[in-house]
Amino acid sequence: MPLETSSRVVQALARRGYNAEREAVTLIAESSSPELALESAIEAAPEDALVLTTDHVREALEAEPVPDPKQVDGANRSPPSTDTGSTATDTASSATTDDPAREDPSVSSGTPAREPHQDAETDPDETKGTGAGARSPNPPVVANDMTGASTGTGAYDEFVGVFRDRYERLSGQLRGRVNHRPADSIEAMGGGADVELIGLVNDIRSTASGHWLVELEDTTGTFPCLVMKDRDIADLVDELLMDECIAVSGTLADDAGIVFVDAIHFPDVPRTYRPSTADRHVQAALISDVHVGSQEFLADAWGRFADWLHTEEAETVEYLLIAGDMVEGVGVYPNQDEELDIVDIYDQYETFSEHLKEVPGDMEIVMIPGNHDAVRLAEPQPGFDEELRGIMSAHDPQIVSNPAVVDVEGVSVLMYHGVSLDEVIAELPEEKASYDEPHKAMYQLLKKRHVAPQFGGKTRVAPEERDYLVIDEVPDVFHTGHVHKLGWGKYHNVLAVNSGCWQAQTDFQKSVNIDPDVAHAPILDLDTLDMMVRKFV
Amino acid sequence: MRPDDERYFTRIEDRLDEAFERAEAAKAQGKDPETEIEIPVARDMADRVENILGIPGVAERVRELEGEMSREEAALELVTDFVEGTVGDFDSRAGKIEGAVRTAVALLTEGVVAAPIEGIDRVEILENDDGTEFINVYYAGPIRSAGGTAQALSVLVGDYARALLGIEEYRARDDEIERYAEEIGLYDKETGLQYTPKDTETKFIAEHMPIMLDGEATGDEEVSGFRDLERVDTNNARGGMCLVLAEGIALKAPKIQRYTRQLDEVDWPWLQDLIDGTYDDTDDEEADAEDGGDGSEDETHEDAEIEGEESAEQEEPDAPTGPTRADPSQKFLRDLIAGRPVFGHPSEAGGFRLRYGRARNHGFATAGVHPATMHIVDDFLATGTQIKTERPGKAGGVIPVDSIDGPTVRLANGDVRRIDDPAEAKEVRNGVEEVLDLGEYLVNFGEFVENNHPLVPASYVREWWEQDLAAAGADLQALEDDLTTDLDDPDAEQALAWVEEFDAPLHPAYTYCWHDISVDEYDALADAAAAGEVTGDLLVVEHTDTVRRALEKLLVEHTQTEDALRIPDFRPLLRQLGLTDGLRREWERADLSAEAEEWDGGDNAVRAVNEVVDFEVRERAPTRIGNRMGRPEKSESRDLSPAVHTLFPITELGGSQRSIGEAARNRTDKGKGVYDVLVGERECPDCGEHTFKPQCPACAAHTEPYYECDECGTVCEPDESGRVECPRCEREVESPDWHTIDLNDEYWSALERTDEREASFEILKGVKGLSSSDKTPEPIEKGVFRAKHGVTSFKDGTVRYDMTDLPVTSVRPEELDVTVDHFRELGYETDIDGEPLIHDDQLVELKVQDVVLSDGAAEHMMKTADFVDELLEDFYGLDPFYEVNERDDLVGELVFGMAPHTSAAVVGRVIGFTSAAVGYAHPYFHAAKRRNCDGDEDCVMLLMDGLLNFSKSFLPDKRGGQMDAPLVMSSRIDPSEIDDEAHNMDIVRQYPREFYEASLEMADPEEVEDLIQLGEDTLGTDDEYRGFDHTHDTSDIALGPDLSAYKTLGSMMDKMDAQLELARKLRAVDETDVAERVIEYHFLPDLIGNLRAFSRQETRCLDCGEKYRRMPLTGDCRECGGDMTLTVHRGSVNKYMDVALRVAKEFGCREYTIQRLEILERSLESVFENDKNKQGSIADFM
Repeated sequence: MPLETSSRVVQALARRGYNAEREAVTLIAESSSPELALESAIEAAPEDALVLTTDHVREALEAEPVPDPKQVDGANRSPPSTDTGSTATDTASSATTDDPAREDPSVSSGTPAREPHQDAETDPDETKGTGAGARSPNPPVVANDMTGASTGTGAYDEFVGVFRDRYERLSGQLRGRVNHRPADSIEAMGGGADVELIGLVNDIRSTASGHWLVELEDTTGTFPCLVMKDRDIADLVDELLMDECIAVSGTLADDAGIVFVDAIHFPDVPRTYRPSTADRHVQAALISDVHVGSQEFLADAWGRFADWLHTEEAETVEYLLIAGDMVEGVGVYPNQDEELDIVDIYDQYETFSEHLKEVPGDMEIVMIPGNHDAVRLAEPQPGFDEELRGIMSAHDPQIVSNPAVVDVEGVSVLMYHGVSLDEVIAELPEEKASYDEPHKAMYQLLKKRHVAPQFGGKTRVAPEERDYLVIDEVPDVFHTGHVHKLGWGKYHNVLAVNSGCWQAQTDFQKSVNIDPDVAHAPILDLDTLDMMVRKFV
Repeated sequence: MRPDDERYFTRIEDRLDEAFERAEAAKAQGKDPETEIEIPVARDMADRVENILGIPGVAERVRELEGEMSREEAALELVTDFVEGTVGDFDSRAGKIEGAVRTAVALLTEGVVAAPIEGIDRVEILENDDGTEFINVYYAGPIRSAGGTAQALSVLVGDYARALLGIEEYRARDDEIERYAEEIGLYDKETGLQYTPKDTETKFIAEHMPIMLDGEATGDEEVSGFRDLERVDTNNARGGMCLVLAEGIALKAPKIQRYTRQLDEVDWPWLQDLIDGTYDDTDDEEADAEDGGDGSEDETHEDAEIEGEESAEQEEPDAPTGPTRADPSQKFLRDLIAGRPVFGHPSEAGGFRLRYGRARNHGFATAGVHPATMHIVDDFLATGTQIKTERPGKAGGVIPVDSIDGPTVRLANGDVRRIDDPAEAKEVRNGVEEVLDLGEYLVNFGEFVENNHPLVPASYVREWWEQDLAAAGADLQALEDDLTTDLDDPDAEQALAWVEEFDAPLHPAYTYCWHDISVDEYDALADAAAAGEVTGDLLVVEHTDTVRRALEKLLVEHTQTEDALRIPDFRPLLRQLGLTDGLRREWERADLSAEAEEWDGGDNAVRAVNEVVDFEVRERAPTRIGNRMGRPEKSESRDLSPAVHTLFPITELGGSQRSIGEAARNRTDKGKGVYDVLVGERECPDCGEHTFKPQCPACAAHTEPYYECDECGTVCEPDESGRVECPRCEREVESPDWHTIDLNDEYWSALERTDEREASFEILKGVKGLSSSDKTPEPIEKGVFRAKHGVTSFKDGTVRYDMTDLPVTSVRPEELDVTVDHFRELGYETDIDGEPLIHDDQLVELKVQDVVLSDGAAEHMMKTADFVDELLEDFYGLDPFYEVNERDDLVGELVFGMAPHTSAAVVGRVIGFTSAAVGYAHPYFHAAKRRNCDGDEDCVMLLMDGLLNFSKSFLPDKRGGQMDAPLVMSSRIDPSEIDDEAHNMDIVRQYPREFYEASLEMADPEEVEDLIQLGEDTLGTDDEYRGFDHTHDTSDIALGPDLSAYKTLGSMMDKMDAQLELARKLRAVDETDVAERVIEYHFLPDLIGNLRAFSRQETRCLDCGEKYRRMPLTGDCRECGGDMTLTVHRGSVNKYMDVALRVAKEFGCREYTIQRLEILERSLESVFENDKNKQGSIADFM
């Protein structure tokens, strides 16, 4: 197999048990005979080395009469183009318009570093000067991770505990705004009294005359709240999901049996919220839904992505966050084995791990499981078990639970796979949440400060000692996947990103007319929270 | 009709009249909701249609039209009558259309099924966007029972009526069209459709449909797009509509087209495009060119469906290199369930060998199996057990036939034997090491006709061989008369002598399964035999694995020692091996032609054998049929759950047992046994007293339901259709009202009136509340008698007993545990050969309405008869009717046969009893109830019980409430008016030689249909009630185990272990595949489903039973403060986990399956185990 792309070099090294510095890989890839260069570099490396360094390669290249690197065939390195049309914010790299006429499309105009394949005569030594580009990411700090701390045993009381915890924490967010009156004491206030209460939505019904009856529940009981259809707030009823926490204020009816609602409050993100940023220029790639093992997994596109990470341009991309569905899994749907490229679940993870090794070894990787992964489906989902971690250990990624909050250079990223998005999209009116604009569904979750409020529907819940699905602290970035559609935007200054996928349209998606956004990598500037999207289609 | 038949029917009707007379006298006393018998007698289909619909005048008009035209045409003709008002008394246009549509469906379903009343909710007239009117037909789920053709025609009838009334066509909005497409897909996913139109097809139909198809929501799943449409009430799938559109219009388009052509007012030009498939704009021309036919066949779509099965014949190159075989079909293995074993993998050697023929208890979706086989498969098969089968149909009821070959087994000592005696089978079955062959499997020709399945190659059997022999010049009659010759099982000398004398193939008894061994094995066997020696009358050959296995595959019986195989009766085998009696091998391998060597890739030695021997050796078992167990057979009384003795409401007072005695003693705040309950308000016409009882407590007159408008107090009367509307407020008025019942008084006075004490029954059970529209309670006295005699009531007041249906056309008095005298009393005079009936063991042709009760049913009917007699005497003060002292007294009594989803009962007459747990009756009797015998079950009721106790007033006021209730009874069966499936049954004594030969070519059944008489050939003739001959006898219709092991084994685990144990034993079964499928189709769905259910479950209050969608934040029940509990517990989630993993590993299942289980196991651990407090297990240290 020809080794002219960095990712292939990495793969070849990985097969021999080596990780490699990015620079070293580039050197090998660009030598005139990468195979030879690779072999001799390994020769040069000491017996006990695990990482092939630039020095090893140079040593090898100098020792052996390796021909000068010649121009790399452009056909094998398709241009990672920037999707200028859809970038959220104007970033430096968005200036890099995709120009097919360019000889060397892989290098963006913003980075004046070496251009080895432009000039066949360039001595590789010249690149010595750019060694400063090596990544030095800080290991991200993870919060809300329940991996290895699942204490639930499936008892009734634990379920109650979860919902009580949800109520306690989310009502806490609302208490500053309303003066909560317990459900069992409202009736005693007498007709006509002004009343405010906070509760989980227990039921939503429309009355015969078209008004909305919303039943709220707190720890003392339930109380019916009537939202008149001609009020502005009636529209908000469309947004409500069961079991989310809201506050209402209104007037008690004459018989004190019902509250006429004047206002509905959500825990929400304050409009004044100001996100934190990194104090240096550093970037993170936010991806999800790799689906290795599926016949539709786009290995080539992934290779291009990994290649690009090896380029100078991607030098500041020091973090890779993966929001679930590393592999296609087994038994996710009936007769799935007939559509799998890799039938063995462990082989799927092995292969995923191989693909992950193509990513530069000096990046920090954080991943959470998704609904295709080999962990329980009920949320919160703990991170992979020891056996699977063992398979993916080469890159030493941080494997945490779904959901989890990851602090990357001071920027807090809430990572959640996104199963509840299906439900939000199904329940809410199209303009508020749709598959074409998945980030709008994410706004709803931010507004409700809960990643999967509705119990009993599509989302599965495993009781734990607390409700891990509550969004306690407002994150700076909210990152989900699952729906295979790309979408992002800012909600009260919080960046919501749904990354696309690395799996081409499946037969099932075709049948329900879902056109997935494949092989996109949203790249986030952690110092500005500006984002652009790179395409590797 | 022959006088004999006329006498038979008259006899039945005379007894019916007697019963009516008594029942009328009872009813007239006014103690029941109505003063008349509520099951009218229908003498023909027209009567049934009218009675089911309740539209007067329909029957007369139907009879008029019936002589002149087909039923479909009559349905269309009736539309004019409805529109003009000459039939039916409908004022509104919607009413007229509704009447016409219902009548059409009733006509096409012969007035038996409930579809016309339950499947069509209403017809409405709505407005198009341009302000014109259109009609909307509102279907409901039970339309399913009408079948595709009637569904499709109901649409046509609706449209025709619309056109006649001058109403505009429906113009579907775009979102409605899209909605149809999405909904059909959703319904198919949720419930499944026989035929699922593509989205483009659905949209095409929706766009052109001249009337709107609408319906009730059926499923739980909602559509995701196209919700909340203005003209569609629901976001759920509308099941009835989906059925009509997909299985009606889309599937039966050619049939409708035939009728649209006859109507000037109705023009559906788009049907042609639908039939041709040219609705997709893109491939318009292509399809046109391909298939420009006039579409007069309705097979267009059906063909596509069964394509897979029929491709077998197509791959025939110039010179065949292998035998003609039907393609194996896996379908029957789908959804394999734990505990229901597989008997043979598709077409696998060692499985059942297909034999053509109809036994006397056979035909109409049944499969004949040797009783010894039933025992050998560990009793999993019994008479009436349903099996899912590879071909020709999908399923069949098992019947015992002992005139076919039994199984061949290898015992633990190595002996290979065929077992033709059930007693021997029971004796040896514990010592069976491998079941080499399951024996023969009898399927009648009609089954292939009914399923339109190409014939498959026939086994070489006696009835074919003897025709070959006769054709070769033998005098068959002389041979048959010769007592020294056994044509079934001749001795070897005789068999070889015939081969010498006549140019006919070797007798099947000595024809071995050469097609199951390879040419190499044949060669090796010949060598081994040549090297063997003859000791006495045994051939002794060296015991090697190859030779032993070859003999086993050939089904050659032998015994073995460690180093020798001993074969008795070996001379025909030697001949077929090409050896002389002196064990000299007369051929060389090189003598074989290339064709013989290469036949079926060398895996089939039948060509080689035929080259070696100088006579013909036919294929012994070319067609093997795979199958597995479906449902077990059934014979048990139908009890509601909890059981009910009387339909009297006692709220919660009777506890979970609903005990009336307990309720009467229970003290409420109103007093002992006093409570308020919603029951129907009635008024006494004589004294004006108001009561809930049918009989006035003051003056004993019969009371009538009393309707008073809640708003204005106006007293209203029901209209013709039974609806009650307040003339002033125009709102519906109902009779039920809250009454205070003093049960303590009611109960004890009922006991006093019946002169019974509480000790005469164990418990008397009532109901919580009434679900009928008028909420009429039943007198407690009826319950007292039921409880005393140990019978319970169904929702309609009748006592029922369920049995699996099986057909039988000839019986012996002896096997029915009755005497020939009984038979003669019932009007039977001769046996099937026309000889006078003298002996108990003579075979007699069964009359169409005679039924055989299972022992359990007979016992239950005796109890019912006692109950009815006591009811007549002590409640109505009349003479008893049955006076049954012993079981024989039931012979000659009338019963009702009644199938689920239908609304018409069929009168039957008891002629005897069987120990099999099934209801044997004439196939036409079952077909009159619209049942076939593939494991279907239905019930019998005692005639007088139905007449006295059935009332429409008890039927639940909800969709489907009128199903399974005897709204009408057929007193005599007209063979032309039954499910025509039964007409395809063959009724001959022998299939001709040409038939067997045609089967080898896999001919279509139509090609040989003329050779074999079917039931349909005698329809409308004098012979329509007689002459149901059979090709195979069986010594008893109840052989083999009485109950399937499935019913006698205890837990699911026991059943599954037995299933897998059997899989290991059967040569034709791959036990790994069975294990794999049990896990895949049973355990995994259960585990996954329960785990999913666990994580989104409801909770329930332990005290008051209140359910909550989510756990209340209070923790306790919000209603009563009681303790709450989960509805899905850990135990129910992981009950199969360990066993599934064990089975997967023990039976070598695929890694994929094991991994799925392991992942699930970890998920279970993750959900149910505390990481910080784990029980140490070995897995933790590995």
